[in-house]
Amino acid sequence: MKVIVTMLFVILLCGLGHEKAFAQSGPKPGKLADTTKLTELVVVGYGSRKVTKISGAISTVKGADIEKLQPIRLEDALQGRASGVSIINSGSPGAKPTVFVRGIPSFTGTDPLVIIDGVPQTLTDLNAINGSDIESMSVLKDAASTAIYGVKGGNGVIVVTTKSGKKSQKVDITYNAYYGIQEVVNMVGVLNATEYGAIVNEGSRLAGGDIIFSDLSKLGKGTNWQNEVFKKAPIQSHNFTARGGSDKMTYFLSAGALQQGGIVGGMDKSNFTRGNMTANLSFDLTRKLKFIMNTTGVVLNSRGVQENSFNSVLGSAINFDPTVSVANTNPNTVGKYGYSNLLLSEIYNPLTKLDNTYNENKGTKIYGKFEFQYDVWDNLKLSTRFGYTKYDNYAKSFTPLVFYGPMNVDNTMNADGSTVTGKHNQVFQDKSGNFNYTWESFANYNFKLKEVHDFETVLGFAMAKNYGNAMGVSRQDVPFNSWEFADFTAATGTNTATNPSAITGYYYQYFRRNLSSFARVNYDYKEKYLASFTLRRDGSYAFGIDNKFANFYSGSLGWVVSQEEFFKSKFINNLKVRGSYGAIGNENVNPQYVEIVTGGPSYGPTGNSNGYNYGNVFYPGSTVASAANNGLRWERQIQSNFGFDMIFHKYKFSLSADVFAKKVDGLLFTPSASLYLGTVPIPTDNIGSTTTTGFDLTFAYYETILKKVKIGNTITLTTTKNEVTETNTDGTAKIYGGYYFNGQSQSVTVFEKGFSPGYFYGYKTDGLFQNEQEIAAWASQPGAKPGDIKFVDVNKDGVINDKDKTDIGNPFPLFTLGWNLTVEYKKFDFVAFTYVSYGNDIYRAYERNANYTNKDRIILERWTGEGSTNSAQNPRYSFKDENNNSRVSDRYVEDGSFIKLKNIQIGYTLDNFTPKIKLSKVRLYVQVKNAFVLTRYSGFDPEIAGGVLDSGIDRGAYPQARTYAIGLDVKF
Amino acid sequence: MKINKLFIKAIFSTALVLTIASCKKWVDYNPHEDFKQTELDYLKSEGDYRTMVVSIYTPLQWLNQATVVGEIASDNAVSGGESASDVLSLQQIDDMNHNANNSTLTELWQAAYEGINRANYLHQYKQVNPEGQTVSFAGKEALYGEVYFLRAYYYFHLVKFFGDVPLFVDSRLGLTQSKTLKRSERAKVYAQIESDLLAAIGVLPSVQLEKGRVTKYAAQALLGKVYLYQQKYTEAASMLENVVNSGVFTLNSDYGKIFLSQNENGSESVFEIQYSNASPYYNWNAVTRGQGNYAAQQCGVRGLNGSDSMPYAAGWSTNLPTTDLASIFENGDQRKQVTILDIEAYKKAHPTYNISYQVAPYKNTGLYNQKYLPRKGETSGQIELNYGNNYRIIRYADVLLMAAEAIVGSGGSEMKAQDYLNQVRQRAFGNNSHNITATGNALYLAIINERRLELAMEGDRFFDLVRTGLAETKIAGFVKGKNEVFPIPMMEINVSGLTQNSGY
Repeated sequence: MKVIVTMLFVILLCGLGHEKAFAQSGPKPGKLADTTKLTELVVVGYGSRKVTKISGAISTVKGADIEKLQPIRLEDALQGRASGVSIINSGSPGAKPTVFVRGIPSFTGTDPLVIIDGVPQTLTDLNAINGSDIESMSVLKDAASTAIYGVKGGNGVIVVTTKSGKKSQKVDITYNAYYGIQEVVNMVGVLNATEYGAIVNEGSRLAGGDIIFSDLSKLGKGTNWQNEVFKKAPIQSHNFTARGGSDKMTYFLSAGALQQGGIVGGMDKSNFTRGNMTANLSFDLTRKLKFIMNTTGVVLNSRGVQENSFNSVLGSAINFDPTVSVANTNPNTVGKYGYSNLLLSEIYNPLTKLDNTYNENKGTKIYGKFEFQYDVWDNLKLSTRFGYTKYDNYAKSFTPLVFYGPMNVDNTMNADGSTVTGKHNQVFQDKSGNFNYTWESFANYNFKLKEVHDFETVLGFAMAKNYGNAMGVSRQDVPFNSWEFADFTAATGTNTATNPSAITGYYYQYFRRNLSSFARVNYDYKEKYLASFTLRRDGSYAFGIDNKFANFYSGSLGWVVSQEEFFKSKFINNLKVRGSYGAIGNENVNPQYVEIVTGGPSYGPTGNSNGYNYGNVFYPGSTVASAANNGLRWERQIQSNFGFDMIFHKYKFSLSADVFAKKVDGLLFTPSASLYLGTVPIPTDNIGSTTTTGFDLTFAYYETILKKVKIGNTITLTTTKNEVTETNTDGTAKIYGGYYFNGQSQSVTVFEKGFSPGYFYGYKTDGLFQNEQEIAAWASQPGAKPGDIKFVDVNKDGVINDKDKTDIGNPFPLFTLGWNLTVEYKKFDFVAFTYVSYGNDIYRAYERNANYTNKDRIILERWTGEGSTNSAQNPRYSFKDENNNSRVSDRYVEDGSFIKLKNIQIGYTLDNFTPKIKLSKVRLYVQVKNAFVLTRYSGFDPEIAGGVLDSGIDRGAYPQARTYAIGLDVKF
Repeated sequence: MKINKLFIKAIFSTALVLTIASCKKWVDYNPHEDFKQTELDYLKSEGDYRTMVVSIYTPLQWLNQATVVGEIASDNAVSGGESASDVLSLQQIDDMNHNANNSTLTELWQAAYEGINRANYLHQYKQVNPEGQTVSFAGKEALYGEVYFLRAYYYFHLVKFFGDVPLFVDSRLGLTQSKTLKRSERAKVYAQIESDLLAAIGVLPSVQLEKGRVTKYAAQALLGKVYLYQQKYTEAASMLENVVNSGVFTLNSDYGKIFLSQNENGSESVFEIQYSNASPYYNWNAVTRGQGNYAAQQCGVRGLNGSDSMPYAAGWSTNLPTTDLASIFENGDQRKQVTILDIEAYKKAHPTYNISYQVAPYKNTGLYNQKYLPRKGETSGQIELNYGNNYRIIRYADVLLMAAEAIVGSGGSEMKAQDYLNQVRQRAFGNNSHNITATGNALYLAIINERRLELAMEGDRFFDLVRTGLAETKIAGFVKGKNEVFPIPMMEINVSGLTQNSGY
């Protein structure tokens, strides 16, 4: 051991050159790269490495490209620009997107690890970073690059490097700002009032009931509620940065403010505001000792509306009765907005709903690091680094008393404004905080043997702890039923014998602890033969007592063919082939124990309540509340990667391509267990495996035409194929998800052996029954009448039942493609970024499907008699659905493939100012985000985020806005 | 500079040593760090045992919809609701086209099994606790009488609803036992129920200090019912006679008062499931898991409003009595007014109440389930979820009628059977001029009919029709050989690979 340690400590310092290398922001259009590009350093775990020496799979996005996009969240800048990364964005301001690095290997927590300036953080934390502060982002994709993060690296790693100052440089000041207006791109086609009246009449009549609207001619067009809830919303951003340094210190300072309104309900009800202050400082304390302190303080405020459910604001806008007028026309009732006399529960006037939505989130975050670097010798550097994130959040929401309509059963306010007996308004307030830190100490030792064998080594240890707690209160009876007075101290509710929930409170705390050690050797022979080996040992407090530690390893080899003597190609300027293999993990588990809980009602997932009343006196009870799995361990992934990087044809073209395979076993997920085990929540187990194979490439082409027009193209392609290969021994374990409600609670997605993770699971349809004979000839399908959907008897047992459910779609694309086009002509610059997602299906789940809810326009083509239509999309319409036409079936599955012009920007740069003006450069630009969307999907937006089991299920998801913006970049 | 270097080296080495040394400790975990009690911390005292037994009662409350289903599935009630798409699981049962994918039935299955697992856990640790210690205390055997009664109650519920079901009694099932069980024949399940109830009868006290805890008589009455469901008439008769002859129970002279809150656990109560508004609950994702009776809110009159003295509260118009039920009461039978609220008649009869309401939008009968109708002031908190109406599961009137049926079935004294039957009828009519004097099969049919009149909307009707073979003629859409039992929940079929009941 000693020998090894000593050996590994024999080193060479990789130098602090990476800041320098990054200072040049990539190739200029017109020529991909001159040879200098090949000296760039890429930041990897616990160090950086010259790009030509890398033998793993890494995608990098440059700060300059990020600045052009002006992303709200950084992930936005990776979408379509970093190959191998799939990102499904959400439209809700500031919301976290779904991010998969190279497919869906895991069921639990698929978020990649995020490393900001060496400090581990989470994907959630990317909401706090200002795009202008970014030097570069790299995505580590294969085991060779992620194994150094061991049990944390299983979902890939996003390495973010922020800007820093430069030694002995005059201050460099910039100001960037933009202002934009956002609007909705598409709306869902629903019935107008006359059409709605006719359909409701038909539904009622076919069910044997009365006509509901006796005179359709009075209904007119009615109200399109979507027009009422979508608003134009502003977005603006301002940033100042200053960077520079003396001979002993460097600094990068930045201040930014961002404000985004939501298009659902407008700025008042849905918004995201962020303020950032960053100071990245480094000091040479002595000739050998360097101190680095990066600090960022962030203020994050937001307001939100309920989304992605049939009774959310958008869901209500789709489903609500179109015959209702916007404003309340009945002077005898309170309320600003109209009400329905038909829809009496669950779905209300969306404006009433919006009007009564009150909440706010106020967060403060501070993150950064303290780091000492000590150069023992020129080539041996010791570093110790304390990285931290502290987040505090205050949230408040208010549920006022609301009058929804005279006959509405959910009223909490009567028509005259009085309170419904027993109802109360209520304010909820919550304060939560967490502190996460990682303390890492490591040594970098770089050395050469015989001048040609070049070694870069690192050895280190890391301890990490996350902990946090939260407290909250609620109180009823807020004065004046108003947001203005919504506060615990102003509310007057007091607990009584019959109402002990007038004041409630709660508290909880949590923590996690990890311990790791790691080592890596990078080797190259004359930059021609490359090799890298990594080891990591991880311990987690969360693993079962039988499996406390895990070992991970990886290795990679590379061969720079173009360095060989025999390689004499005029066409190929540079060619490297590389391969890697290794193991990494995922620890998304909690400690295991059999808990006994004493008390009363449970509000947990299974409602495993305790206690009983004997003669109206409550007695607390106790019961087993959890089950333990002592063998619980990490998911283990084996990954292999093979790829090449090539630059060719006068450095104008570059191509990087990778094929990879991942196999995960010991997949952590909660198995479906027998219901006869009762209601104790079932713990996760290591029972699954998945395989993922895929291919990703980045192709770039730069050209200058007509002598002055510089054109740059970068195209990325990402494909993955995922399959669940094992769940449990008999393959019966399934994870159901994608729940929605259309009268019955339905589940659309399942994680099941033999299928792609999270595929859509339901009945296949085969047109409609045109007459009784067809029903008689079909497999037994109880309740079917002519005009109803024919469901396919997949297992051919003569009966249509649950066993016939099958694969009816996949929410994840076959491939995604990003194309970034840049054109420069004199002082004009132009960027267009197009993103393509092909083969992703969407399950339309936003229709509540109740008798009196509004319907998608597709119902106008419904079956009305033999031969009228044979499309399973269009069964007959009746209030009674005896055939259960609304069951989960491919009737609701649509092709969600899309082409989005995500960003288009034209800029003009002014320079050569007279010294008097003190400006060195001014760039003005106009920008349109989500300029157009080409899709056949009939809902708002074909991009529907939601992790493994909820992606692609459209319950009325918040669509991404189209933004028109103008901006200004100033350099002083 | 040298010192500096050494100093730094020392820091790094110390850090390294400390890190390695604290390795194990840093990643060890004790649930006490999270302030959690584990199995090994529990069942250390009499109090622990008693507290744990309380929670075996809890799932009784979760079986809330069993009573509703027992009526909606029968000729006594329709599902109602807002529309054909509202409360779909109940609509399907009402229309007898329910399938295995029925949320209400799934809940009734899983809740009963949680009850069984809770009882089994205490059975498992009866002699020694999880740490191997023996905890002895006075009254432990009697306490275990409650455990065994409750386990029998849950299995009886399952066998009534689903027929053959997985049977296990030794311990709470762990994860490793998931998917290992098959369905046991109904007869085996019944044998276990009988043996548990006999064990309970041997140790349970006649009187419990706390209302709602099970007594020896509750166990005897339940066992009588269990025998009756198996046509073991002789055993049923003698078991039920124990309850009758105890002299502990009397019929409440006013039928109308039985269902008022002040008469919960009254003179006629043999076994009641307790609900209360005293610990309000607000979990809409599991509406039956609190201390309140959700079914009360379900069956209320929609949009009901009126003066302060009008006693009823509004609800959702489900579980509506049928006009058929209303039509079978003879003139003078007080039970009709108590069982059924004819809202329009009530409104006319009480003009001072200034009543307004919304006609039930779907399957309206104009009639409401008055026995369990929500009443003002009887709920709290989230008002829909916290009505305190106890379910009268076994009333003394039921015991008398069961005893009469068992006596007739076993060829016993018809005079005695008539007497038991007529005790119930005399209370209903307030006189003895409606006494039954029939004998033989006519007497048997009179007893069965009387069960409908006396116990309507209390959850037994469907099961009475099934066990007496009348279901096919009385229930529209009932398929013989299929609908006697409900389907095993689809999730259980999918996950555990159980066989399905025939026809589903």
